[in-house]
Amino acid sequence: MSLRIPCPTCGDRSVHEFVHGEIRRVPDHLTDPDERDLDFAFHHDNEEGVVTERWFHAQGCRRWFEIRRDTTTDRIVVAEAS
Amino acid sequence: MNEFVERQMKLTWRPPKKSYDVVIVGAGGHGLATAYYLATRHGMSNVAVFERGYIGGGNSGRNTTIIRANYGIPAAVRFYQRSVDLYRGLEEETDRWLMHQQKGILWMAHSEGAVRAERMRAKLNTEFGAQTEFVGPQQVKGLCPQLDMSGGGRWPVLGASYHPQGATARHDRVVWALAEGAMERGAHVHQNTPVDGLILDGERVAGVRTAAGDVAAGAVVSAVGGHVSRIAAMAGLRLPIRTHRLQAFVTNHYQRQFGPIVASSELFFYASQTARGEMLLGAEIDPQPSFSYRSSHDFVQDVCRRALRLLPFMSNLRVLRQWTGVCDMSPDYSPIMGHTGVPGFYITTGWGTWGFKAIPAGGEQMAELIATGEVPELIAPFGLDRFARDRTMADRGSAGTH
Amino acid sequence: MATFLVDGQRVETRAGDNLLVAMLRIGVHPTGGGCLCLGGDCPNCLVTVDGVAYTRSCQVPARDGMVVQRDHLGGEEPALLSDEPTSAGDAAPVQHVHCDTVVIGQGDSGREAAREARDGGLGVVTLNAREGQHVTGVYPGPLVVASDQAGCVLHVHPRREIVVATGAAELQPVVPGSDLEGLVTARAAAALVTAGIDLGRAVAVGERPAGPPPDSLVAHFPVGEGGWELVRFEGDGRIEAVVLRRHGDADAAEERIECDTAVVSLGRSPRNALARMASDLPVRVVGGAAREPELPPCPREGTVCPCSGVTVADLDGVWERGFHEMELIKRATLAGTGTCQGGVCLPYLRSFLLERGGRLQPAFTARPLNRQLTVRELAAGAHTAVTARSPLHDEHLSRGARMDRAGGWWRPWTYGRNDDEYRSVRERVSLGDVSSLGKMAISGPDAEAFLERIVPTKVATIRPGRCRYVLMLDERGYLLDDGMLCREADEDAGDRFFLTSTSGGSSFFELWLRDWAEAFDCDVRILNQTASLAAINVTGPQAARLLVRAGARELPAFGRHRHVRVAGVDCRIVRLSFTGELSYELHHPAADARTLWRRLLTAGAAFNVQPHGLETLLRLRLEKGHIVIGQDTDYDSTPRRLAHEWAVNLNKGDFVGRQAILRTNKRPLDKRLAALRAEDPPPRRTAEDPSAEGAAIHDGERYAGYVTSDAGTTAGGGRPMLGWLYLDAEGNLPREVTVDGRTARRVDGPTYDADGERARVTVEITSESPQSLREFPVARPEATDLAAEAPTGRPRLRRLEATRVSATSAALDALIEQPPWLAGALAFRTAPDELLVAASPDFEVDDDSHAIVERETAFSYVWLEDATAERFLDRECEWRRPDARPALAQGEVAGIPAKLWFEPGRTLILTPAPFADAFQRRLTGSLAETDGDAA
Repeated sequence: MSLRIPCPTCGDRSVHEFVHGEIRRVPDHLTDPDERDLDFAFHHDNEEGVVTERWFHAQGCRRWFEIRRDTTTDRIVVAEAS
Repeated sequence: MNEFVERQMKLTWRPPKKSYDVVIVGAGGHGLATAYYLATRHGMSNVAVFERGYIGGGNSGRNTTIIRANYGIPAAVRFYQRSVDLYRGLEEETDRWLMHQQKGILWMAHSEGAVRAERMRAKLNTEFGAQTEFVGPQQVKGLCPQLDMSGGGRWPVLGASYHPQGATARHDRVVWALAEGAMERGAHVHQNTPVDGLILDGERVAGVRTAAGDVAAGAVVSAVGGHVSRIAAMAGLRLPIRTHRLQAFVTNHYQRQFGPIVASSELFFYASQTARGEMLLGAEIDPQPSFSYRSSHDFVQDVCRRALRLLPFMSNLRVLRQWTGVCDMSPDYSPIMGHTGVPGFYITTGWGTWGFKAIPAGGEQMAELIATGEVPELIAPFGLDRFARDRTMADRGSAGTH
Repeated sequence: MATFLVDGQRVETRAGDNLLVAMLRIGVHPTGGGCLCLGGDCPNCLVTVDGVAYTRSCQVPARDGMVVQRDHLGGEEPALLSDEPTSAGDAAPVQHVHCDTVVIGQGDSGREAAREARDGGLGVVTLNAREGQHVTGVYPGPLVVASDQAGCVLHVHPRREIVVATGAAELQPVVPGSDLEGLVTARAAAALVTAGIDLGRAVAVGERPAGPPPDSLVAHFPVGEGGWELVRFEGDGRIEAVVLRRHGDADAAEERIECDTAVVSLGRSPRNALARMASDLPVRVVGGAAREPELPPCPREGTVCPCSGVTVADLDGVWERGFHEMELIKRATLAGTGTCQGGVCLPYLRSFLLERGGRLQPAFTARPLNRQLTVRELAAGAHTAVTARSPLHDEHLSRGARMDRAGGWWRPWTYGRNDDEYRSVRERVSLGDVSSLGKMAISGPDAEAFLERIVPTKVATIRPGRCRYVLMLDERGYLLDDGMLCREADEDAGDRFFLTSTSGGSSFFELWLRDWAEAFDCDVRILNQTASLAAINVTGPQAARLLVRAGARELPAFGRHRHVRVAGVDCRIVRLSFTGELSYELHHPAADARTLWRRLLTAGAAFNVQPHGLETLLRLRLEKGHIVIGQDTDYDSTPRRLAHEWAVNLNKGDFVGRQAILRTNKRPLDKRLAALRAEDPPPRRTAEDPSAEGAAIHDGERYAGYVTSDAGTTAGGGRPMLGWLYLDAEGNLPREVTVDGRTARRVDGPTYDADGERARVTVEITSESPQSLREFPVARPEATDLAAEAPTGRPRLRRLEATRVSATSAALDALIEQPPWLAGALAFRTAPDELLVAASPDFEVDDDSHAIVERETAFSYVWLEDATAERFLDRECEWRRPDARPALAQGEVAGIPAKLWFEPGRTLILTPAPFADAFQRRLTGSLAETDGDAA
């Protein structure tokens, strides 16, 4: 096992059972639709620290949910159903 | 003494100056190669490389030391072939033993779709100057007698693309030889000196703020790996980069010779033998972004399982050590080199899981760009602006591989 | 008494001896020299045991029949080098143990920690190296991996805490002669004396050995301030004397004391590598492992790292060359990279660097593995990816098909008659198994609005009963997948749709749809029917006649779909065409696939129906210029580059990828996927590789792209290909190019049947002669009465006949409150908005008019008795199982997604039917391996 992801329906499971999903945020200062779209399509915050992200429990309930994870340690901060 | 104890290179450390022509952030292979080629090809040695830890301590010291050019798009084949060629001459050029060894890479196919993909790879490589041919099962077995051609009865080897110029070199020595070569021509390398900020002069980047004080620079180059987004943010840039962990491990010494580098894109692993005789295994990146350097058990567990399908001789080898690097992955699996749109600030990133093999060519081309101000033709397709220009460099040949 | 072989010599030893002690009993030092610690901390007793190199002989009990080689690098090649699969590729068995606290080490501090935890009411697992439980690493999870004497690998999953009580190692001597035979640490000396091994004349250096000293102790020299300094050991292979001088006086005369054994006790170094590699995990270090490391004096001469053979002179050499960081010294000398992972050298490296650089540097990073398990042991519990099987898998095999992995499924690549497979489609009628297509039922008040945002085609104009080819784009405007979108014909079904994806995309399909449904906040029900429904493509000019003979009373026109009973099986027939011929795609319950397939073959016998494989399908579609996702597309394939603008409607509302298309359309086009026809004769290729796929395309001298598809066959007097063509400097797409030096022309339409008349042909349902009509009984399934079934001795998975419901969470709550199905039928709430019930689909969901209720045959099941289930799951289920009964749990078991239903006394396992074969193999294998345990 590796990192465990807390699925609100199924409980803690290995990260292998899940698919990761990023919540993308386009900075507010971008206003041009093409610029916003380009940022949405390609750019990432790539944050070192606690991020909110989505996971899909592919090997279990097959539903998405949100958690907060510290990307520097992989520690899960809190779990909540989306 | 063992034969691997370093007894050629000499690293010379000097105190930082207030100002340099060029400041490079990150003393990994790419940063040091840029300094090396600036000094050797362009006579530019008023150059400093700042490193937050020790030289080669990031991905340059955490990779699987493979050198190859069998990529999937013309621009990448040309670029990596340049690197393969430079690597072949690097021992002579630096007069240092880098343990460079040409071994050949077998990229195995276990399905008809994979056979077609490997045949395509061979044709495309040949067209753009890299030697790759498709070989049938018998030749595969001849090149690597240890293979179980039935794949444990489940993953039969239907053929492979063979890239004879595939090679390995000792990663640390490559880094040190480039550092030494740059240092002896006057370049500075400063270890344990993180860059905490960039000095801006209007729009222009004019220097760096470091733990050892502010340093002015005519040009600043980010040669940072997994943590590149942090440096780019200092220049107000958002990058098409996400950082993922890449793990690897070695076994104890294997007494017999294991000739080529063996890879399977369907079983997702690759294996080679180090100069010390250890079997070195790697696989794909962890799918979720992370900056954690901690190794996981499932990685070694899964890769051992998959490797045993094809290489059952490894069954009784003991795994000695595993490690992790954090890789700067671009969305199209191709590197990003060149201007950033911010005057005075250059970038070389997106090295993902294929940075080691690109060290000499990456350094050479970045040095030419900085010294001449012109984007060299070889790296012109790899600029950061390609995403906005709708010219992404999607390379299936490098996706998720070593 | 145990008898084993050492380098071919028979050795008898006492029961309870470890290998090292047994060898020392007969006067054999395993490696020929070096200070022995008997604690697993040094590399000085490594041997090869039963073909496993680098084995610490002090950690292995001597067992009957062992074959030991003193060459620790390894013995005979362990695996056969044949083409036959070998059992050498098997992984060791795993045992999963869940607990609150795991205590590593069972010395005084470990036993104390375990007792405290137990007294606190916690579930404790202890790992004891003396019982062969060597911990290889502490990993995220948290997970503690250890070997076990039973030949199993333990995966211990503690919920609360990991206690590291591994004690301290004794410092090894670093002086000239430290590689001689006859050196032992104080603890080793005590153990050897207890074992009755004669040490001869012994000299103790350092701390006085604890406990009763060996009778033969002739002298004791304390080291350090006020005492002595160890200078060297002398001898020729074996120690003859210890040489010391007064501490702190380099000029002091040397004392030379003759002896047979030197007992060294120079200080302790905490065995804390496991704790260091577990930073950020709930780890507590107790006892000797928690002590501060004692720094020995800076070494002057001798071997610092016995694993890699690094001397003090080597350290001096690299220091002088500018290597000053601990990590750089390690890399420049390889000190600390051997079996003991720095156990011996680390304290000396630190004292060396402190003296040279005036700064105490931290220990180098602790990385797994702490104790080295073998590749087969580390692979324990892992499985290679399982490839899904269509319900027709065995039918293909029985017709001689060569199966191939494609897009995560086993597909029939060829039945060995490619020409006839091709002709049966073009001239007669053929069957193709397309069960692996992704299939989704989508319903709900927002279903149409949702799909408008998902696909770039106008959904509102798809009328009930119609279907349309659709693209699916990602947010970059690149083609992700393609499929068919059908709107249900039945007005009562409300806004309900059926959407397919390619086989390769089917694993991604559901998560992608659900992700966007949530992002757009759409009120939809989504039911994944990929495994529930099989699909057979009946294609060829005689397709309609075959279906009529098989009992179809109505057939949809081109671009339509309808529910029709064919050969006694209820099907949704979709009429589009990928082959270029008249085609009907029959989607039907997976449980009925075999029946339908066989009956279609029977009904089509008069037309000489033949199934066709994937290889033929790729040729057929190429003649029509149809693209294959992944083969003809790349990660930058916008609809414009693919020449698929016709499938994109920019005038409707927003959809995924729309802004990206608008954005990229402002940039000049660089390349376009084009259909090419090469001149006859076609480019020459070798017989084994007739295809030009991957070959470069040239426009004069200019590189103009490459071929993505070429079946190596001709049609209509030319050779059809697809390929990427780069526009020239003027922005034009070349008309005439060369491939492999042969001319090829870009063509605008398909090579075959350019007007599409064959695919779109109007079919009159003519009455077949009555004697040709076949009567097939109607399949009337009964739901599996799960509750009534009992576990059997040899568990076999069987297909479950059930119902799946997708409805709002509240509606499902109400449904379960008052179940409309027969009392006692088992129902599993697999997600808040999804239910699987072992009942027939003959009910409605009162509180949700958009609910999807469908017959479900996508799962296979087996009941296991408690003891059997436990035996299996302890090995193949790494996550913690629920304590409550009854309870449903979902997750990976044996590397395959599973649903577990726990009742008192028995456990039900459900797994997707496409994986049932693999699951059965893993279940049977695991139970066979543990049969011995049960007995």
